[in-house]
Amino acid sequence: MSDATLAPIGLIVVPIIAAALSLAAGLVRDRSGWMVALAALLVEAVLMIWLVDAVYRGPGRLVHELGAYGRPGSDGFAVGIELVADELSVLVVVLISVVSLGVLAISRRGGPRGNAFYSAYLLLAGGLMGVSLTGDLFNMFVFLEIVGLATYTLVAADRSAESAVAALKYLLIGTTGASLFLVGVGYLFLATGTLNMADLAAMLAGEPSFVEEALYGDTLVVAGFGFITAGLLVKSAIFPLHTWQPDAYSAAADSVTVYISALASTVAAYAFARVMLTVFTPAFFEVNPIAATAIVTLASVSIVAGSVLAVMQRRVKRMLAYSSVSQFGLIIAAIGIAVHPAAVDAGIPFAGIERTAAEFAVIGTAIHLVGHGLIKGGLFAAVGTIARTEGARTVAEYAELGRRAPVRSAAIAVLALALVGVPPTVGFLGKWYIALGAVGAGLWPLAVVIFASTVLTLTYVARLLERLYFTPRSVALPDRVAADGGTAAAGEPISPTVGAIVVIVLATIGVVALGFAGTEVTEALDPFIAEVFNS
Amino acid sequence: MTEAIYSLRPLLAVLVSAIAIPLIVASYRRPNVREGWSVAAALAKFGIIASMLPAVLAGEEFRWSFGAYVPGVEFALRADALGMLFALLASFLWVFTAFYATGYMRGLDEHSQTRFFAAFAGSLSAAVGIAFAENLLTIFVFYELLSVATYPLVAHNEDEEARIAGRKYLAYTFFGGGVLVLGGTVLVFALAGTTTFGETAAGLATADPTLARAAFAMLAAGFGVKAALMPAHSWLPDAMVAPTPVSGLLHAVAVVKSGVFGIARVVLDVFGPELVTDLGVGVLLAALAAFTLTVASIIALRQDRLKARLAYSTISQLSYIILGLGVLGPTAIKGALLHIPAHAFMKLTLFFCAGIIHVETHTDYISEMDGIGKRMPLTMTAFAVAAAGMAGIPLIAGFVSKWFLLIGSVETGQAVFALVLLVSGVLNIAYFWPIVYGAFFESADTADEKPLVRGPFGGHTPVPDGGTRSGESPVDRSEETNYAVDRNPSDHHSEEAHEEHDAHHGGPGPDGWQWAGWTGAEGSWLMLGPILAIAAGSVVLGIVPYEAVFLELIEQIVAGVSA
Repeated sequence: MSDATLAPIGLIVVPIIAAALSLAAGLVRDRSGWMVALAALLVEAVLMIWLVDAVYRGPGRLVHELGAYGRPGSDGFAVGIELVADELSVLVVVLISVVSLGVLAISRRGGPRGNAFYSAYLLLAGGLMGVSLTGDLFNMFVFLEIVGLATYTLVAADRSAESAVAALKYLLIGTTGASLFLVGVGYLFLATGTLNMADLAAMLAGEPSFVEEALYGDTLVVAGFGFITAGLLVKSAIFPLHTWQPDAYSAAADSVTVYISALASTVAAYAFARVMLTVFTPAFFEVNPIAATAIVTLASVSIVAGSVLAVMQRRVKRMLAYSSVSQFGLIIAAIGIAVHPAAVDAGIPFAGIERTAAEFAVIGTAIHLVGHGLIKGGLFAAVGTIARTEGARTVAEYAELGRRAPVRSAAIAVLALALVGVPPTVGFLGKWYIALGAVGAGLWPLAVVIFASTVLTLTYVARLLERLYFTPRSVALPDRVAADGGTAAAGEPISPTVGAIVVIVLATIGVVALGFAGTEVTEALDPFIAEVFNS
Repeated sequence: MTEAIYSLRPLLAVLVSAIAIPLIVASYRRPNVREGWSVAAALAKFGIIASMLPAVLAGEEFRWSFGAYVPGVEFALRADALGMLFALLASFLWVFTAFYATGYMRGLDEHSQTRFFAAFAGSLSAAVGIAFAENLLTIFVFYELLSVATYPLVAHNEDEEARIAGRKYLAYTFFGGGVLVLGGTVLVFALAGTTTFGETAAGLATADPTLARAAFAMLAAGFGVKAALMPAHSWLPDAMVAPTPVSGLLHAVAVVKSGVFGIARVVLDVFGPELVTDLGVGVLLAALAAFTLTVASIIALRQDRLKARLAYSTISQLSYIILGLGVLGPTAIKGALLHIPAHAFMKLTLFFCAGIIHVETHTDYISEMDGIGKRMPLTMTAFAVAAAGMAGIPLIAGFVSKWFLLIGSVETGQAVFALVLLVSGVLNIAYFWPIVYGAFFESADTADEKPLVRGPFGGHTPVPDGGTRSGESPVDRSEETNYAVDRNPSDHHSEEAHEEHDAHHGGPGPDGWQWAGWTGAEGSWLMLGPILAIAAGSVVLGIVPYEAVFLELIEQIVAGVSA
């Protein structure tokens, strides 16, 4: 039996090859893109299960050396690119695989068609897997760029003017962010001479014999941190670097929005977590405490600003996009707590085990990364099908949809409440861990913001719920003459596809079920946590 | 902590009405079957809870656990004496409310009845979950679910007033729950390493007193929002737009009692009376409760709308309970805990009376209720009984709890609170007596002026030309008063909205009230039956509180806490 280190490489390569196949198949037979994508993503799912088994049940952290160059030099540094699958990255891999398949179910009828679209789709999947699985910093940049390019294409896929402008905006801002990231990587390379994450961490800590002391205070390194952070915060759409996101989400085709909202910024936030926890490690932040404070402060501003901006929106997709700004603020805040010097030392004893506040923050990051991806994906899926069948795109047009689209409205209600953080959903679980981290570390302003985020999220969620169930159409849309719904285009009502409903219902069930998975995730992440905090 | 018997019964008690929800929704086309599910669920719930009662009275506890929900905290239900108190009360009263709600909704031919009954069942599920929660995190989960389940009930009417009330309700309860209670829970967990009731006091005692006080403040404030403690009380009068069974549920059974119950848990089980006294936070809580008590009673005097007056009365009475919990001696705690069921029975009677009056005569205003005792004798008798109990007249439930509270305050050397309670008793009489007197001893033509409601502030001054000049122009019937503070008990509730909403056709009609007789011709027995039953219950509770189980449970709780 081949060993599981083939799984990471398979996960990245299969979709990329399939992307090319999709284009080629388009020459032979039109409309074959969906089948190619389905086949490729099913293979991905199998590889994903194999990887999950290997990492969580089997040997644990897996390393695959591309090209098997080994470590020939005297310094023992890796020469080639390593792919690393550890407990945190496999969580993200699972999310990517599940969401890709789910969106496929929606886009069959609902989304843009054409082999070129599915080619970009698969390329995006490959890029996302690459970011999650790579162990090399420059390789991460490459995959981030692949993700970016594929996303720009997908945003413009429905060929409307609005989406073209949105895609251009995303391209300009996104590329700037990626370039900042590259500059940071370059500085780190200059300071340490290696790009491999594990080796970088060792070099920065001053472990090799030829390094006199830890490099954490080195100007190049700190500058590198700054640039990398700036670049990744652009990609995660943190206020005030978020301006590409609302346009991109609302202008893109509905199934594209599901895909990118669940995954693109999620993976960028994962990249941030990976770099901060594995490369810089909490030791860097002990030497430069202002770095942790800066991350936490920026994140807090984003949490508040995102919610405030969301309340002001009339279009539902824009409102949810600003909601993402706020939620990613929460995730970045969690990462900030995880590396904050106050949190790393703050022990919280319970039931005989001692855990630090930082460990809780790491668990919270992981749970909220995955949980938010599911919630947002489910919400955009429901919103997308409603836009297609009812023609409702603004909050006011959602009036009385509770009666006309009961299943989807119920799903939106549950998912929206999960976003607020009502237990026992996964949204609450992530918030619990992050709040525990903040309180345990004594970061009181941040704790206040985290608790307040419940009410802030409620402001825009409640608006939507009120429209869905408690507002008659005549009150919400007084200028419309026709009282019946139906789409603007055809006289005959369109019903949602089975695939879309299944995806939405599964997402809702998943969000509630995962709300009970706290202990499982904690146990699964334990080896990763041990490595981050004890090494 | 006594060794608990592992049992599924606490879980079943919570779930039986949650299971009823899909059944109710599925029977939407057959109203009798649908209402049957509500009644069946209520009876089953009460049956399960009552079956645990003998063992709990003997000192045992029933426990069920899901396992670790987050590391260090289990999602667990434990039926102990305090939990049984609330659960027994909620499930018992739901049986009657299910019948009453049927009568009410059908009497008014209301819309969305399926959603109404489904949300009702969900709310009761969450309420029993709150009662049986074993730790702060579990109680928080059910607390939030209660907010979610009761929101559709508050916004039921789907008009602008209801939506505004609903938004306010969500804002207040999620702020109280999701922000304050969660913050307090996280803080307690960080300080004590556990959130289980009864086990946190040790850790909190050794923690930094400022942080412990902050945790107490957050938890008390968070639960206090639902308990309508001032200044977080104004969601309650606004929620009066909901149908009356909901007002009864909110104000007697589920929501407000869950807030008070939460405070009881915090004071008795999370911190414990000694720690609360050491930290010095009990007096603050009692002072805030005393303030709420008095001010709410004063505001109630000026309300002409019956449900609004009852709402402010509720705010006032809930603070009796919080006062007792803040004063902290064993007698005061006994009084406070006994007031939970006592007030529930009395207030539910009062609200149900208001509801049947609305259904049968469309009368909502006290100034139009003169002589209504002729038209609705049984109802107004029940009203009189319950109102007497509110004022603390002996033989009815309110007297016993008030007695204990008075003695408790004097016992712990905080006699000023006893004075506050006595003043409040007078105020209670002042705002309930005119209703009863007017109903039985006056008629629409010969009714006396109601100066407290109608008179302007500053009084009338006779002017040389024979008229009167007053501090402000006299109150007009069409607007309650000229004052923003009365017109808008909250900051954006608008009275104008309710004028348009139902063309006001209350009042006695051209021939005055018609005599309806004492045999129940005044209204549907679906509503009259529960009213009379619950009024009788409040009398029973006043005469034999120990045999009526509640006082026995409470003595056990107090013994357990003082141990």
